[in-house]
Amino acid sequence: MIASIIIGIVIFGYAGWALVRFINKSKQGKCAACGVKDSCSSQCSPIVKNK
Amino acid sequence: MEIALIGNPNTGKTSLFNNLTGSYAYVGNWSGVTVEKKVGVFKNNIGQLIDLPGVYTLNPLSKDEGVVTSYFLNEAVDRLLNILDASQLERNLHLTLQLLEFEKPALIGLNMIDVANKRGIQIDASKLSKILGVPVVPVVARNGKGCDKLVDVIATKSIQPANKNLVCYGQAVESAIAAITGEMTAKTNHSTRFLAIQYIEGNEYVRNYVNHIADQQKLTSILEELESQLLNQYDTKSLANFIYTKRKEVIEKIVAEVARKGDATIPLSEKIDSIVTNRYLGLPIFLLLMYFMFMLTFDWLGTPLSDALDGLLTGPVTSGIESALGAIHASAFIHALILEGLVAGVGGVLVFVPQIFILFFFISLLEDSGYMARVALVMDRIMESVGLNGKAFIPMIIGFGCNVPGIMAARTIETPRERLLTVLLTPLMSCSARLPVYALFVGAFFAGHKAFIVLSLYVLGIVMVLILAKIFSSTVLKSETSLFVIELPPYRLPQFQSLWRSTWDKGKGFVRKAGTFIFAGSVIIWLLSYAGPGGLEVDMDDSFLAAIGNVIAPIFAPIGFGTWQAAASLITGFLAKEAIISTMNIIYFVPNDASLQALLADFYTPLSAYSFMVFILLYIPCLATVATIYKETNSKKWTAFSMIYAFVIAYVLALIIYQGGRLIGLV
Amino acid sequence: MFESLKMGDKGKIIDISRVGKLVQRRLLDLGITEGSEVCVKCVMPFGGPVMIESCGQCVGIRRKEAVQIEVVRL
Ligand SMILES: Nc1nc2c(ncn2[C@@H]2O[C@H](COP(=O)(O)OP(=O)(O)OP(=O)(O)O)[C@@H](O)[C@H]2O)c(=O)[nH]1
Ligand SMILES: [Mg+2]
Repeated sequence: MIASIIIGIVIFGYAGWALVRFINKSKQGKCAACGVKDSCSSQCSPIVKNK
Repeated sequence: MEIALIGNPNTGKTSLFNNLTGSYAYVGNWSGVTVEKKVGVFKNNIGQLIDLPGVYTLNPLSKDEGVVTSYFLNEAVDRLLNILDASQLERNLHLTLQLLEFEKPALIGLNMIDVANKRGIQIDASKLSKILGVPVVPVVARNGKGCDKLVDVIATKSIQPANKNLVCYGQAVESAIAAITGEMTAKTNHSTRFLAIQYIEGNEYVRNYVNHIADQQKLTSILEELESQLLNQYDTKSLANFIYTKRKEVIEKIVAEVARKGDATIPLSEKIDSIVTNRYLGLPIFLLLMYFMFMLTFDWLGTPLSDALDGLLTGPVTSGIESALGAIHASAFIHALILEGLVAGVGGVLVFVPQIFILFFFISLLEDSGYMARVALVMDRIMESVGLNGKAFIPMIIGFGCNVPGIMAARTIETPRERLLTVLLTPLMSCSARLPVYALFVGAFFAGHKAFIVLSLYVLGIVMVLILAKIFSSTVLKSETSLFVIELPPYRLPQFQSLWRSTWDKGKGFVRKAGTFIFAGSVIIWLLSYAGPGGLEVDMDDSFLAAIGNVIAPIFAPIGFGTWQAAASLITGFLAKEAIISTMNIIYFVPNDASLQALLADFYTPLSAYSFMVFILLYIPCLATVATIYKETNSKKWTAFSMIYAFVIAYVLALIIYQGGRLIGLV
Repeated sequence: MFESLKMGDKGKIIDISRVGKLVQRRLLDLGITEGSEVCVKCVMPFGGPVMIESCGQCVGIRRKEAVQIEVVRL
């Protein structure tokens, strides 16, 4: 029983954490897909339409 | 210490960046791979290295080039590392001369020595260094030759340029430069000579900057005077042209002194080119290549591999977990959570890893070989007729892997209208996350023609792009200007190592997502299907998930899949397209060995399956793509538009296919 | 005129000013301007783009711009 509870907590805990992180990252869009995102400190600049 | 990498497009800046920082940023054999600033840390920690998009001059035409000029004007640059393509020295030196005018510490990495040597070009690096007054280090970024030396030079030498004013622009221009610099003294920490020259050349970014710090009217009058004087005196078309010619004269002198041309072997490139860009064969060859790719992915190699993986998962892995759970006396709830939720949901996605990797391998091959730019050339005629240009095809091919970098790649398109159009349409390209859905359904319903059916979906995506581009460009996005000039890089035989690296880099995202988001999603979906208004362990048709699905299911009845199961999986698909598959695996979970594919036959007919695939192909960009569209267009309106039109098109097309198919007697 | 050049022909550009401003700028960036020697590598069908080579560098441009370039055959 204890084992079940522990497993349950671990799975749900991890799932909650992963979900929040994923959604936050997705909202950043391109930065999440970037190859050097871990070391990169630049702020991505948006395209300004029509000069 | 901050060191900025700067050079012409496709000269190997990012390759060098990866080599020096030990990271893996995007490398490919065409111009405009890097579209934004990337920061990395040197392996030996001597400072930060900044990778920038490639530019021909500091006077930008497109958005990715503007990134470089703004970087120069607005941020503190400590040192410049200018990368030259040794096989194209003359063209590359135009930028170098401008950089030296900037009067910041600089050094030069002379890259692609191997290519130059093959073409019979020998360059005397020490002589070049003497003339330019900055250190020049020959390197081969691809295999790291010379990189150690380069790091040594960066770290130790004082590299303040020694020879100032390499180019003398003639008396008239020089006196205008003097007048303009006079207006700016003590108002900026940038080199005033640099600003003045760029101002005269017509660099918009610099003009804005200068107009802020100095008296705009005075400057304009200096400029007008100079212009009339020059146009009278010399046979020149514009100030920019005059300055270009002056630089060119200097460059010719330099090149004559440092470069020796010997015998060249005829490049393989030309022979390949005569085939793949052949007048009539170009397009068929491209389609054939795609077909081959899908055959390999779905028939020859991918499917057997993923079947084997599936067997492993449903067999030994499941029974292993089962006995482990039995040994610790896990409750029925945990038992179901792990086997029916996680193994079904996460495992169901992971079994497609082989197919995803094969697809990515092909995309990497396309990117690294130099074929990409050729495809753009071959496609230009068609794209032009719908108001786009051939370059827009590059983001779309990248979009086959993942739409997010595809949309980013649209930055290299020069005209704002075509760029916006490309950003809006790239999501119609079938990204790799949609591939598991196809794999599952073609396996169940179209076993005989898997590759053909999948190819038809990809082509459908492209055809929809063409049709919609035509519609949008003649209604909401009208404009005449279109620009198409594309550099066709020489073919390079991709190295296995870099191919693998870039395949892995793309593919690991898929695996990682399975371990994070798909994991979390599976837990939630399973919980929703396990619990219902009536309590826990309800029949799935009475679960919360069924209730949610049932709300929107009727919408999909006319297009062939009005079940709550389909509706529920489509909702999760907005967050990430792979989630569609994991949701289905959980919903249609079968405890015994009967596979999902067999079960699907109870819920879909071949016709409704095809309609479902078409709908998945088009219905909505995923969350990350939507966010990227928003960042790139900076407009809520266009972002909403991209979601709505996609849904409408998907629905209409699926309706036509399903109802039309039924009319002509298909099932 | 550019039209007079066939695949494989070489020419020297004598006037490029009738080409669109942006295209002219881009070609200049690539080192193609008055005085450059160019070679027509390939002409796509149905009025598609042409591929020209200059100083070992291949460039694709549209037919309608290419015909605006004044060249003399070499
Ligand atoms: N033969 C050879 N190929 C190289 C060398 N350096 C880079 N390459 C290849 O040249 C191509 C372009 O490399 P990138 O590093 O993406 O070039 P880049 O300068 O970052 O390009 P942009 O981001 O488009 O400006 C790739 O296919 C590399 O494999 C080299 O020293 N020798
Ligand atoms: Mg790059």
